[in-house]
Amino acid sequence: MINRVTNATQTLNAQRNLQLSLQRQAQLYDQATSRRLLNKPSDDPTATASALDVRSGQAATAQYARNVDDGDAWLNTADSALSSVETLMRRVRDLTVQGANDGAMSPEAKESIATELDGIKKSLLSLANTTYLGRTVFAGNSDAGVAFQPDYSFTGVAGSTVERRIAPDTTVRVDADGAAVFGTGASSVFSLIDNTVNDLRTGVNVRPRLGEIDDRMKAIVGEHAEVGGRQTRIDKAKDALAVGANALEGQRASLEDVDLSKVILDLKTQDVNYQTAIAVTARVLQPTLMDFLR
Amino acid sequence: MSTFSGLNTAYTGLVAAKAGLDVVGQNLVNANTTGYTRQRVSTSGVPALNSGGLFTGGVRPGQGVSVDGIQRLDDAAIDARVRATTALSGYTNTRADALSTLEASLNEPGANGLSTQLQKFWSAWGDVSNQAGNQAPVGVLLGQAGSLVTQLQTGYRAVDDQWTATRTSMDGMVADLNSAASEVADLNGRIRSALMSGQSPNELMDRRDLLTTSIAKLAGGVVRPNEDGTVDVLVAGNALVSGTTANAVKAAGAARMTDAGADPVRLEWAYRPGAAIALEGGSIAGAVSTLAPADASGTGGVLAEAAASYNAFAVTLAQRVNAVHSTGVTPTGATGLDFFSIDASKPAALGLSVVPTGVSGVATGTAGAGGADGSIADAIGKLGTGANAVDKQWAAFVVRVGIASKTEKQQSDLADLATAGATNAQLSGASVDLDEENMNMLSFQHAYQGAARVMTAVDEALDVLINHTGLVGR
Repeated sequence: MINRVTNATQTLNAQRNLQLSLQRQAQLYDQATSRRLLNKPSDDPTATASALDVRSGQAATAQYARNVDDGDAWLNTADSALSSVETLMRRVRDLTVQGANDGAMSPEAKESIATELDGIKKSLLSLANTTYLGRTVFAGNSDAGVAFQPDYSFTGVAGSTVERRIAPDTTVRVDADGAAVFGTGASSVFSLIDNTVNDLRTGVNVRPRLGEIDDRMKAIVGEHAEVGGRQTRIDKAKDALAVGANALEGQRASLEDVDLSKVILDLKTQDVNYQTAIAVTARVLQPTLMDFLR
Repeated sequence: MSTFSGLNTAYTGLVAAKAGLDVVGQNLVNANTTGYTRQRVSTSGVPALNSGGLFTGGVRPGQGVSVDGIQRLDDAAIDARVRATTALSGYTNTRADALSTLEASLNEPGANGLSTQLQKFWSAWGDVSNQAGNQAPVGVLLGQAGSLVTQLQTGYRAVDDQWTATRTSMDGMVADLNSAASEVADLNGRIRSALMSGQSPNELMDRRDLLTTSIAKLAGGVVRPNEDGTVDVLVAGNALVSGTTANAVKAAGAARMTDAGADPVRLEWAYRPGAAIALEGGSIAGAVSTLAPADASGTGGVLAEAAASYNAFAVTLAQRVNAVHSTGVTPTGATGLDFFSIDASKPAALGLSVVPTGVSGVATGTAGAGGADGSIADAIGKLGTGANAVDKQWAAFVVRVGIASKTEKQQSDLADLATAGATNAQLSGASVDLDEENMNMLSFQHAYQGAARVMTAVDEALDVLINHTGLVGR
């Protein structure tokens, strides 16, 4: 049987079609104004799963970037401290070589060298206790406030290093090993300078001390090189994180955000559709036989 | 054959045409009445009288037209289809509504969702690790942990509130069902007596059909017509309405979500408490399934399952964080401390709370690695990433709700489409078409004019016979 068409069915169908048209329009308006394709999980459950993953990745990446900045500052602090230490150690060597010239040096001259060495030792000790945001960069995770006590004992814990997470499974050490750089207690660089000063004052030739100074300088340069190497890693991680953050944002946008030009085009088309629909409806529903019967 | 029978024949024509016009009028004025089914006057020709007499002879015409009744042009099969599709769409609409509300309360994906708060929480641990032992990052961490707990509780409460609201609306629906059932029973009685006294029960039947459709929307139900014009309405095989008797139903079961496991929400017969009615469709069935308790396989009612997921997530979060946190040492040297605690007297999501109140309660480092060690804080921050991340459990829940909502929405759309199709079919048979009624009006008008003309003709013929016979040549 062919469906009988009546005014009621016509009106109902027209209403339903207009409602569908309006719903589609409202959805497009929603997308265009919020600029989001994914407003609730049921819009696209698969994309929601990915979007949640990507957002979690973004948050982690942002945290790694903060860690990297922090680590970078730590390594910079250690690096500049080590540079100053090396300059001072060169001066220590120069002075020791000068002081070793027993024949040409008067006791007064030796005394002045000893005084300068003493001053350098104090500077070295203060460099060894360099801090970043209240943490000593040469003492690992120690919270003693200084890396070396006045008696040259080291406060750091062996094997406890300061690490910064730069990737889910990667950390970078951002402190410098104070024990390796300066030595500890009697074998420390401070004791070495003290001994040298003592030798100068008591008239013992300081030439044998040169070997010890050279060994210490080697240790310092070696540790400095390691700090430099770690700095390079941190710099690379920084670049990689920036690239990663971009990629993640791209993924997030492609999952969650609308293509604005497409939505606007759709909206325009839908506008035309809707206007056509209401115009046609107005025309179709109007006439009845009564218009033509006298 | 009587001389005057022609007059009578014309008179029956006038009566039939007038009845037709009256029905057209009734149709036209009810063109926009919901549930009105168009009517037609049904007529039949009156056959000629038997001629048994000795002097009778020749062929005789019929005796006019008789108005047999006013027919209601409904189609029982299509009406049944409308009820069946309405029951299904009532069921799926209720479920889709519940899921869509639940989904909206998640605020995912976006900056206001729990996942974002969770990420902030992990990041806060990262910052604590970078500055272990400092007050400021710990303050931020405790703030973020507090927000996380609050958000978890807000989410759980939203589900709880939705459960209570659905339970209340179910009570309303059951009251509607009972009043519709008793009205159908009442109409059954009136229709039966109208039929017995020979009156037209058409308008009463229209109202009864509307009511049975709304019963179908609420609770499904099969309509079974009886010989005397009454109908029985069966819900899950038992009579909700039987003749002029309506059997009341009531909503029974827990009034709070936490009690629903022990005392599931159900619909039962007032005369047989304790036995749940296994509804086949309708929005009450949708509400009952939405309010169902959670089960082990995760296929229980959506709201209870969502609440269970909130609880499970709270437990996982507390366990995973505590497992790492308790191995660490605080700046003051304390070990074995918990970060989260769960009050066992409440649902886990509501009982979750943050234990530490300051830097002294947060274990950040490994014992013996120096007071400023942040390795434990770093390990906790790592719980948010990787294959076994705590976040994954939440994401899985969100996606589960999303898929369920999408599926239910599709089913609801399909059911709506089927209902629209059935309603359209019903309307196409039963609704009043103005053009058609105008045509009918014209034809009845013409029939009336024709019958009146016949009457005039017979009248004139009789006039000639009576008044002018025998006056030849006068």
